[in-house]
Amino acid sequence: MKRYFETYDHGPERFFDEVFSKEGTPRPHYGKLLQRFRQFSQEDINARREIINIDFRNQGITFTVYGVDEGIERIFPFDLIPRILPAKEWEVLEKGLLQRITALNEFLFDIYHTQKILKDKIVPAELILGSRHFAREFVGVNPPLGVYIHVTGSDLIRDGEGNYLVLEDNLRTPSGVSYMLQNRQALKRAFPAIFGKYKVRPIENYPQELLRTLQEIAPPGRFDPNVVLLTPGIYNSAYFEHSFLARQMGIELTEGKDLVVNNNKVYKRTTRGLERVDVIYRRVDDSFIDPLVFRPDSRLGVAGLINAYRKGNVALANAIGTGVADDKVIYSFVPKIIRYYLGEDPILQNVPTWLASNPADLKYILENLGSLVVKAANESGGYGMLVGPESTLAEQEKFAEMIVANPRNYIAQPTISLSRHPSFINDSELFGCHIDLRPYVLYGKNVTIVPGGLTRVALKRGSLVVNSSQGGGSKDTWVIDE
Amino acid sequence: MLSRVAESLFWMSRYYERAENTARFLDVNFNLLLDLNRITPVENPNYWIALILVTSQKERFDELYPEYNARTVTDHLVFSRENPNSITSCVSLARENARSIIESISSEMWEQINHLYHFLQGTSQQAVHNDPSGFYREIKNASHLFQGITDNTFSRNEGWDFIQIGKYLERADNVARLIDVKYHMLLHEKQGKKKISGESDDIIQWMAVLKSCSALEAFRKVYLSKLDPENILRFLILDRTFPRSINFSICAAEDALWRISGSSRHRYVNNADRLIGKMESELGYASIDEIMSEGLHDYLEDLEEQLVRIGEQVHLTYFAYHTPEIEPNGVEEALPFTGVGGGRAIWSQAQQQQQ
Repeated sequence: MKRYFETYDHGPERFFDEVFSKEGTPRPHYGKLLQRFRQFSQEDINARREIINIDFRNQGITFTVYGVDEGIERIFPFDLIPRILPAKEWEVLEKGLLQRITALNEFLFDIYHTQKILKDKIVPAELILGSRHFAREFVGVNPPLGVYIHVTGSDLIRDGEGNYLVLEDNLRTPSGVSYMLQNRQALKRAFPAIFGKYKVRPIENYPQELLRTLQEIAPPGRFDPNVVLLTPGIYNSAYFEHSFLARQMGIELTEGKDLVVNNNKVYKRTTRGLERVDVIYRRVDDSFIDPLVFRPDSRLGVAGLINAYRKGNVALANAIGTGVADDKVIYSFVPKIIRYYLGEDPILQNVPTWLASNPADLKYILENLGSLVVKAANESGGYGMLVGPESTLAEQEKFAEMIVANPRNYIAQPTISLSRHPSFINDSELFGCHIDLRPYVLYGKNVTIVPGGLTRVALKRGSLVVNSSQGGGSKDTWVIDE
Repeated sequence: MLSRVAESLFWMSRYYERAENTARFLDVNFNLLLDLNRITPVENPNYWIALILVTSQKERFDELYPEYNARTVTDHLVFSRENPNSITSCVSLARENARSIIESISSEMWEQINHLYHFLQGTSQQAVHNDPSGFYREIKNASHLFQGITDNTFSRNEGWDFIQIGKYLERADNVARLIDVKYHMLLHEKQGKKKISGESDDIIQWMAVLKSCSALEAFRKVYLSKLDPENILRFLILDRTFPRSINFSICAAEDALWRISGSSRHRYVNNADRLIGKMESELGYASIDEIMSEGLHDYLEDLEEQLVRIGEQVHLTYFAYHTPEIEPNGVEEALPFTGVGGGRAIWSQAQQQQQ
């Protein structure tokens, strides 16, 4: 009988394999896991996968794919082999994230107040003031505790040597944390015995930590604050997550039409009349959140919400206008931002980035489209992206035109070497699929990071795109104490 | 409780009940045709038209299908997405409503709705044709299971009461329609005779009505073998103890409405309470002779209208409270009045990109 991992190919040298060293020997922290998987037959694995699939489907753990006439619901693919991070590696990541998020928050506070960093010409003023995510209405507004980015989910990847690099800072409404929690539950159910062999740090307290963070930013004088989650509704791809988090925190899941603003205070409509709302964890983008200030055609938002927020009668998490700092162009300035505010060297490095708005870089990008990854500065979720080596000449030409027409909107990076991790690409076969890591950082009175995060995996042979909308899946992620 | 949540609980419950009732009509009709096999050819369209009349869908049906037979009617009432009252549509709508309040119901309730939805998605027309009774039993059982789960996992709060109101208003309406159509058919067949008789094939048909309400056994316990039309109508309309009779349903809906508002027998605080109280009193003091002399059809039609009005008042009192008065442009984009609102405009905006 064929055993798992007997024929596993740990792949070309330019990729870092999470489980096997370049010589093909297993890394020590994976030893016990491999030993266990080698004992499984294909039937064992199939039976466990079946349990989890039925579980996911009945619970409605699905996401919606856009681009067709109606959204199609799919089960979020879950890979059975967990990703393991030794505590020592994790502690470096934790420090690096703390440093990065602290600096980015100071940056936001600065550009919405005195704009010192622009005056000192560390970051070009036109990049900030011309960004479509810059909310000039918020200059001079003080968010509670001075915090703008209460929930963030930075995407980390590993280069060929295994160094962690930051690929993106998601400072607006990062999603995926519910999958992190569900994955842990699923794996506990499928392989309870393996948990006994490792000291896996728990992540189950995330909803409580999130709720605490939200309560901490309530307007002053509001004891026992009323916290709600604002969702765009059931047609949103992350709706499952919104409802899951609301349920886990025991708060109400609201849509725009559930809330009304009266005299600059926010209320929810109940069967017994109006009730005051103090904190809104909003999963609606800035542009849809208040038709009086942003897109007037929005039917997802709450008219008057922004004024109530400016008056300090309601708190929003995340604050308005944070997108200006996770723009892919501003991204390339983050190392400078860290040095400027904290006087420290960045612990986590960036991926090298060329800005199309810079003439020398633009020339380089246009000459090397076939080997670079080009991204639109303001898009997310794997949309509006050209992966050079996988693209056709026609696609490259189309992108070249778009870049020249609007250079401010594009950046390019080398084809990044996402690390690889053995994963099931079909029922029986293990393949080294590319992965990234999204840890979730909470920022209230203090910064809290749950150990691990969501490992996203590109479940197509050789694919580098891990987004769920593009055929990606996820893995349970363990931080272990040895 | 959020008005929107209350509204979705109400509609979730209502659509689930509607799916169950449609399954009941269809199931009994199959059995009836088998019973009457010797008297009339199985494909007699009259028996199928009745099912379409119950759901007030005749015009729509005529546009879509060339004739009335087992296949077309089953397709329309079970699978058709064109028909908002088909079992598939009702279960989908129940699920959409449940999904929009997933954090307010128990996960067991959600899993059960989801399970039924996926069961329907995986059922072919041929499968229903091969074993209609098995299929309809599955739907009925799914509904019973859902109610049992709700009973055992949902707190007895306001939300529970909205679930009850949705369920019982729908049930009263369905039973009224079912009686009305059957009565109409039997009168029609007798052409001219003003009174429906207790002749044997009529009795078989009235038994079918009882069966579709799961009421035959309960009826026999009360009336023994006196299976005459008046007793059957008395049981289905006025009985106070049988959970699928109109009177029972109205009492249950009234209890729930009064629990929410704090109304009582001598003091109502809103129009919904007033109307349901009035209906409950009328049913409580009505006799079947009066109803028959007034005209059963007129009586039932009036009752259905009253039920619609109660539904409207529940909507105005609890769901539409503090709704902005001016509807945004493009109201035609809104979905029909089904609980989950918004339509395509919301759908396209809600797709906004996620990080």
